[in-house]
Amino acid sequence: MATKPKIRELLDESACAHNKTKTAGCNKTVPGATTGGCAFEGSQISLFPYADAAHLVHGPITCVGASWETRLTRTSWQGRDMTQMGFTTGISTNDVVFGGEEKLRQSIDYIVGHYAPQAVFVYSTCVTAMIGDDIDAVCRQAQQDHGIPMVPVHAPGFVGGKNLGSRLAGEAVLTHLIGTLEPEETTPFDINLIGDYNVTGDMWQYAPLLKELGIRILSTLSGDGRVARIRTAHRAHLNVLVCAKSLISLPRKLKEKYGIPFISVSFYGKRDTSASILAIAEGLGDADLIARTKQLIAREEARLEERLAPYREIFRGKKAVLNTGGNKSWSIASALQDLGIEVVATSVKKSTQVDKEKARKYLGEKGVLMTNPGAEQAKIIDQTGADLLLAGGRSLYTAIKKKIAFADVNQEKKKSYGGYEGLLNLAEDLKNALENPVFKNVARRAPWEK
Amino acid sequence: MGEISHKIEKPLQINPIRLSQPMGAALAFLGIDGCMPLMHGGMGCTSFTKVFLTRHFCEPIAIQTTAVTDVTAILDGGDSSIVEAVHNITKKVTPSLVGLHTTGLTETKGDDIRGAAKQVDFPMVYVHTADYEGGLESGWGKTVKAIIEQLVEERSQVQSDKVVLLPHVSMQPIEVEKLKDFIALFGLEVVALPDLSTSLDGHLGEKQSALSSGGVKVEAIVSMADAATVISVGASMQLSAEALLKKNAAMRHIHMDHVQGLVATDALVEQLLALTGMEQPPASVVRWRKRLQDVMLDSHFSLGQTRVMVTGEPDFVAGACELLSEAGARISVALSTVDSPQLEAINAAKVMVGDLEDAEKLQAEYDLIVGSMHAEALAHRFGKALVLRGFPCWEIVGNQLKNDLLYEGGAYFLCETANAAEAMRMGSHD
Ligand code: SF4
Repeated sequence: MATKPKIRELLDESACAHNKTKTAGCNKTVPGATTGGCAFEGSQISLFPYADAAHLVHGPITCVGASWETRLTRTSWQGRDMTQMGFTTGISTNDVVFGGEEKLRQSIDYIVGHYAPQAVFVYSTCVTAMIGDDIDAVCRQAQQDHGIPMVPVHAPGFVGGKNLGSRLAGEAVLTHLIGTLEPEETTPFDINLIGDYNVTGDMWQYAPLLKELGIRILSTLSGDGRVARIRTAHRAHLNVLVCAKSLISLPRKLKEKYGIPFISVSFYGKRDTSASILAIAEGLGDADLIARTKQLIAREEARLEERLAPYREIFRGKKAVLNTGGNKSWSIASALQDLGIEVVATSVKKSTQVDKEKARKYLGEKGVLMTNPGAEQAKIIDQTGADLLLAGGRSLYTAIKKKIAFADVNQEKKKSYGGYEGLLNLAEDLKNALENPVFKNVARRAPWEK
Repeated sequence: MGEISHKIEKPLQINPIRLSQPMGAALAFLGIDGCMPLMHGGMGCTSFTKVFLTRHFCEPIAIQTTAVTDVTAILDGGDSSIVEAVHNITKKVTPSLVGLHTTGLTETKGDDIRGAAKQVDFPMVYVHTADYEGGLESGWGKTVKAIIEQLVEERSQVQSDKVVLLPHVSMQPIEVEKLKDFIALFGLEVVALPDLSTSLDGHLGEKQSALSSGGVKVEAIVSMADAATVISVGASMQLSAEALLKKNAAMRHIHMDHVQGLVATDALVEQLLALTGMEQPPASVVRWRKRLQDVMLDSHFSLGQTRVMVTGEPDFVAGACELLSEAGARISVALSTVDSPQLEAINAAKVMVGDLEDAEKLQAEYDLIVGSMHAEALAHRFGKALVLRGFPCWEIVGNQLKNDLLYEGGAYFLCETANAAEAMRMGSHD
């Protein structure tokens, strides 16, 4: 049986808002577009956080040579953290001519022999998909030989962008892992977390609160994830999709197949964190749990308020322009507002319909939704007298020219901004940016310039 | 000389240090002013390369993609996405040069990039850089050769005081600048190709990030063949130098495998003296030579008891090993990303092509690692000293300002390495 998912079907995601309108699908790649990763990258982002599995990239060196050890996805796995390792068949001209299946087979044997992983994910890439290597057959055979799951992931770069790759990764997990193992025990409050990759430990900002409430994270896809646990995911009572529209096919299919309901949440900012925790409790539908959740939220919010008080002084009357992409265009806006900073504009350049609606909701009628931030942001800073620009590194020059503070929100994250605790990290970083004299000093003219 | 193994023994690479040819090509094009490197392949290759170089240099990086999709991958000859990409980008900016290079995908398809180049109205250089062959260094070298073959006009006369410098890929922007300045001290005029010293050197300026800024000008490349001398640095640049010599039979060629350490720098100085007829080098050169000698003595005690593993691109490994050996360090492992004729000349107990898993297995044989950020986990796990060099180094700032070349850079490098070795020894005693 071929396990290659049907790409067209995945592009037509019925749970995606844009499919109800007439706007284009998710898979538009434009020659000459400067940014955007490939489907392989999307699948890598979604699955590599399983640190107890080996992630074998079947392709030439570009795919993983330039991308291993890039993301700070943290794990509590006690064994060797394979999410910080690069495995590649590193195919050569010879393999391109004669096929790379034999090399793939030997590579899997080597990995199982030397690293004893809980599973091996095998990723096809542009070249190996093109030459027609049958990774399904190799995986099937290897699974029989070694007795651990082998998961073929069909997301070669040329099929589309990152979002599609995430979906294809979800598809691979659904086909090959979920439902293949029964959990040792179940609780009425078992949930799956889908779409949080625990970058910089984001998940750990709110997971302890869920635990305190007696809500058990049965499995994750894939932050701090374990292969054995995702195999039991079909026994959860609620799927919680965290900020990840790209994986939305998965909870929908889990609902169809196993009848598990799902909700979408975000853990950036106070309001969203509180709303999300409550939504999980409500999704589990237990009156006592809901009551306890409300108490916990009240307690946490009060605690947070107290610790935020000194920052509120600094942020009073401050205005920010936010130029970032995807769900960050509203999730960070919401967090900034929670800190008492007025968000006068946000970018919706690459946002989906849902993201745009949310951005509008958070910014209100007065807020500017920039469709061409590169050109617009400088003008908006002038008009509104903004004090802070949050954007990718390229916009640094705009901030220097305008002599205002700058925070890089696109750089690979080093610190978590998730949950209540993360909001304090964000506050501290913004305080430092606002107080840092560097922006003024750098803008200073040399004595020989007029 | 110890054992040399050229072949990778395993079926796969684990914790690879090899980097791709397309990335080397893109970097070479970034050393040309107003250039638009255009990678012909899937979007991921370009996006990974862009993030990789942005984080390494802490600079905005201009690279464009033809964004090949399943439709174009299977159906068309590849021309249309190239032409479309150029069209889309040039609506906004006017490149002085389009640097078209391939990837594994488009090489597997067998796209006719030469034909596509003909359909484009901008000056264009095309080069084949499959990522299932070679590596960063060869991608850079092949690109420089292609630039010379396709852009440089033939000449028969030479300007006696003009020098073309062809640096290898592992020379940091400041190193290119230092070497240019060094040659200029002898009264010569230098043009470097590519010239990262003026494009990715970390100076603060207005960036037009769809195109490279700084770097050697296209006009300067076109008229390059009137230089009396070409100096190539690194074995990977030999072919480029030969291509340039074909443009003017009157040119003379000085090849240096590297310019690291006392002996190699002496050799370069000797050549420059002969070239200019000067009797003595400029005073600052003399002074730095004495400083290097002093540092060699100051650091020899520490380095002499240190066993070192050097990893990276072959031309870099060759130079670093030589410099360290001169001060008495024992190079137990030289681990190269890819094969190269340079490996034959490296002075190390073991010379091999491999990955960091191989390095891990040999961990009992070295105390200090010279290598990229990927070696950090290894150094940590086994308590080794680490001197960060090569690609990528993301966790530190100022890569482009690190100079290990000539007398001056050699002195700094030996100090840094000896200090790292001592810090490790102190650490392992408490
Ligand atoms: S586009 Fe293809 S070859 Fe390039 S990184 Fe993605 S999967 Fe690999």
